[in-house]
Amino acid sequence: MNRTRNNPLADDLVRPLLHTSVWFYGAVLVLASIVACGAAAWGYQLWYGMGVAGVNWPVFWGFYETNFVFWIGISHAGTLISAILRLVNARWRRPVTRCAEVITAFALMIGAIFPIIHLGKPWLFFWVAPYPSARELWPNFRSPLVWDFFAINTYLIGSLLFLILPMIPDFALIRDRTTGLRQRIYGTLALGWQGTTTQWHRLEAAMQIMAVAIIPVAVSVHTIVSFDFSMAHVPMWHSTIFGPYFVAGAIFSGIAALIIAMAALRRMLNLHAYLHPLHFDNLAKLLLLMSLLWGYFVFSERLTVWYGNQPSEMAVFWATQRGAFAPFYWTMVFCNFIVPVSVLSFRRLRTLPGIVLVSCGVLVGMWFERFLIIVPGLSTKQLPYSWGTYTPQPPEIVIMVATFAAMALLYTLFSKFVPIISIWEMKVGNQPHPPLPADEAEEQQSLWRARP
Amino acid sequence: MNAVYALYDNPAAVQRAVDGLRAAGVTDADIQVMSSEPFEEYEFGHKDSASWIHWIAGVGGIVGLASAYFLTTVTQQSWPLRTSGMPIVAPWPNLIVMFELTMLGAILATVLTLFVSAKLPRRLPPLYDTDVSNGYILVGVQRPSGQPLVDVTAALEAVGEGRVKQIDR
Amino acid sequence: MAHRWGMVVDLDKCTGCEACVTACHAENNIPTAGAVEAGRGRAMHWLRVERYWEGDFPDVKVKFKPVMCQHCDNAPCEAVCPTYASHQTDEGLNAQVYNRCIGTRYCANACSYNVRFFNFFNPQWEKPLHLQLNPDVSVREVGVMEKCTFCVQRIKSGKTAAKADGRELQDGDIQPACVQSCPAGAIIFGDLNDPESRAARLTHSPRGTKLLEDEGTEPKVTYLQRQSWNEPDTQ
Repeated sequence: MNRTRNNPLADDLVRPLLHTSVWFYGAVLVLASIVACGAAAWGYQLWYGMGVAGVNWPVFWGFYETNFVFWIGISHAGTLISAILRLVNARWRRPVTRCAEVITAFALMIGAIFPIIHLGKPWLFFWVAPYPSARELWPNFRSPLVWDFFAINTYLIGSLLFLILPMIPDFALIRDRTTGLRQRIYGTLALGWQGTTTQWHRLEAAMQIMAVAIIPVAVSVHTIVSFDFSMAHVPMWHSTIFGPYFVAGAIFSGIAALIIAMAALRRMLNLHAYLHPLHFDNLAKLLLLMSLLWGYFVFSERLTVWYGNQPSEMAVFWATQRGAFAPFYWTMVFCNFIVPVSVLSFRRLRTLPGIVLVSCGVLVGMWFERFLIIVPGLSTKQLPYSWGTYTPQPPEIVIMVATFAAMALLYTLFSKFVPIISIWEMKVGNQPHPPLPADEAEEQQSLWRARP
Repeated sequence: MNAVYALYDNPAAVQRAVDGLRAAGVTDADIQVMSSEPFEEYEFGHKDSASWIHWIAGVGGIVGLASAYFLTTVTQQSWPLRTSGMPIVAPWPNLIVMFELTMLGAILATVLTLFVSAKLPRRLPPLYDTDVSNGYILVGVQRPSGQPLVDVTAALEAVGEGRVKQIDR
Repeated sequence: MAHRWGMVVDLDKCTGCEACVTACHAENNIPTAGAVEAGRGRAMHWLRVERYWEGDFPDVKVKFKPVMCQHCDNAPCEAVCPTYASHQTDEGLNAQVYNRCIGTRYCANACSYNVRFFNFFNPQWEKPLHLQLNPDVSVREVGVMEKCTFCVQRIKSGKTAAKADGRELQDGDIQPACVQSCPAGAIIFGDLNDPESRAARLTHSPRGTKLLEDEGTEPKVTYLQRQSWNEPDTQ
């Protein structure tokens, strides 16, 4: 069988699909039971009413919206980064793109559940969809929540297609290498792919156009998510900087999630030969860049508020800076700026464990960032008489934990049934290519040697 | 229907085979090359390239834009409800919906074009070999039954390597 | 000409007795949350009397401010609703359609005055309190927003009664529950499009201010108060 080049590659990447370890069943069982707990918590909330959650007058939005923004932010890891890397034809992207795009697809699905969970009447969520009611009334296109519907669905459809289209040739490969039921299932999924020159051409042309189209969509999605806040007259919500600020934060947290996912895959699926230190190093540099950008946005936002010195905004400003929310605020600054900048700036510290640790911190920090944008503004609105506070309640916490488990579960299942690294793209990457410039080659070499 | 194909393990041989078939009078449309990866740097890899897909994506975008324009303006006028002192047809918010549907139109048109022009989904045709997935590159010619394939076989064998196979059905 | 309903609250007359709050609860079937839930921010008062203190003890001045939905012309709550549950009617009321509300609570966040309330639970009245529910007002179910309607049911029935009698609607025919119950007569309701109505005349009073005027929401509720309140006492 192995007379032809690149077969070891295909063998390596198809192996996780054919051999299942006990750990897989254990992980699926544990994760699925956590997800079931989350579903039960939601059922509890549906049965007794929204009152079992911590949201109240005047803090009408809390954990659910925080998680919504957080997960939509995580989704910016994948398709956006993969599309940019595709367009600039970065060679090192090949093993990274699919693991990244999967994050987008699942994070978007999870994120999009939160606006439904948070509704007072979740069973009527489809009233936001553009279709006329029995009285010929359509949804209100002036509402940011309707924009959300369009933006998230466009991004979800685009990202799913962006993920699935390059999977077709890989399904064909698995079809040819398996027998029985597996062959039938993957044969159906392969849609009769032969790999003719026409098919390759159409696929590559389509991916090129999709990459161009998906980048502005990704930017628009998180901008529109930020509009949910900046359209309202809430102190420190009503800000023009929110669009780019949210997009930068989304890409920041997305890269962190991607790094963690890749490190986990590398270890669990034994992909050391494919995801090597070069990839982590490149992503870490991107993470450092986004950390600096994030710091710049936070500084601009804070400075303009402080300088403007409006009483209602200053109440929120001081509540986060040195009031009740200060511990979260300073944790956020520590995790999102101080640690990434001081660790990732030095090549000596940019080791794999270091990068993963920083990424975990960034996820924590970015979660706090979303929380600190939403809750303090609501709890200290213009009329001091209506000031309030917010304490999350068990259903909100359980559902939040369950979504993290859901992400891990979906990711585990996906990597079990689909090669997590695009086989055909890796093969193209192994084709002879022009030699690297001397300095770049040296760097690549040193990273290869540093491989543990 | 009958077909002849050969499996080669390197793209340079494929290029020679394709050139040989052309010399034997086989048209480009009849020559089928199948591989488990695209070969952009060889001439045979370009024989079916098309630049018109971009235009279809553009048309899809325009269709999306137009439908979003009508969706927003018509529905806002069909039952005019005043909110926040905004005009009944509110241009700024509508632009957001128009942008999203433009992009969605372009994406869907692209994918539709891919499926139609790459003839997907379909049943796996008889002219195929599972060795393609093992890294071999298939060069084949398919003709209605009755027509001779002797010249094709000769051209494929003239390359000097690879395995030539025949399908009679 | 269409009506344009508005309200004037004379803060110099308000004694903070909260009769209006009680009347509002009784008229509009507003459920009471109970001590525990009220402590968790689930109390609902379409009309509340805000209390502000000025100065240090014992030289303290207390200000009362009844705050209800301001029925803004440029209401920030309206545009953000995805289902048009919140919109402006032809008579300038900021309407809330309970059946169309899906409970995003976005309107409540967008409202600068925090006068919108959410039904966190299904409303319940301990027996025999359920017998005193007002049949003219629907009871709101769990998961929808609600707020002051300017007693739209009284506006409707006032207009119907005038039509049945074959006469024009007179200023003072329509009295929301808070207006009717205010012992000091501090709340005045009327048609702002009728230049002769008391509400319209008082709206233009030099004592008049709007709540959070710089938000640009154009409220239809005017607060009257002595403009020298913050000046040093000359006596």
